[in-house]
Amino acid sequence: MACEMSLMESSIETVINVFHQYSTRLGNPDTLNQKEFKQLVKKELQNFLKKEERDDKTINHILEDLDTNQDKELSFEEFIIMMARLTQASHVQMHKGSSSPGHKHGPGLGEDGHGHSHGGHGHSHGGHGHSHGGHGHSH
Amino acid sequence: MLTDLENALDSFIDVYHKYSLLQGNYHSIYMDDMKKLLEKECPQFIKKKSAETWFKELDINSDGAINFEEFLVMVVKVGVEAHKEIHKE
Repeated sequence: MACEMSLMESSIETVINVFHQYSTRLGNPDTLNQKEFKQLVKKELQNFLKKEERDDKTINHILEDLDTNQDKELSFEEFIIMMARLTQASHVQMHKGSSSPGHKHGPGLGEDGHGHSHGGHGHSHGGHGHSHGGHGHSH
Repeated sequence: MLTDLENALDSFIDVYHKYSLLQGNYHSIYMDDMKKLLEKECPQFIKKKSAETWFKELDINSDGAINFEEFLVMVVKVGVEAHKEIHKE
């Protein structure tokens, strides 16, 4: 692109780049399978989604919900719906507790005011191995 | 520290407010705000579709203003288009 990118364009580009960074790992290079989606959520959405929203079971539920054509993979079209929902959630969070006149934003998702630093970036498993309750995959 | 992806999502909120705060209700983008937004933020997308058409399409509840939820529909549409463009190149 010849001209300078706007904030809107560069943000969209980031979303596309992150999607491709994971979608190209396994199988179809332009869709996220379950494994790729899990990796993406755990690494790239570690602040927006709380720890309990990033366990395997919940991630599978999110994927099933987004997978509108039910092919067990997420296309970019399906993925960006999740991005819109998270943006919405962050915006709601920014407006929480503010009743003062005028337009003000508090911290958004994953920012609890004090800049906490995460010890281990990447996927830190809390020590306890995830125990699958015996069932392989639920249909 | 937010990740790049999380920062990008928060940026959409910044882009929206840059135009929604210009006049009237804090969470409303009116027709002339929409023109400014499209011209500055995604000029290539008014080549195919006029600001008027965009506005009509996004104003789902037909109240003459684009609220934040309606703006996110635009983010999805522009994102899907941009993703298609990348694969054309």
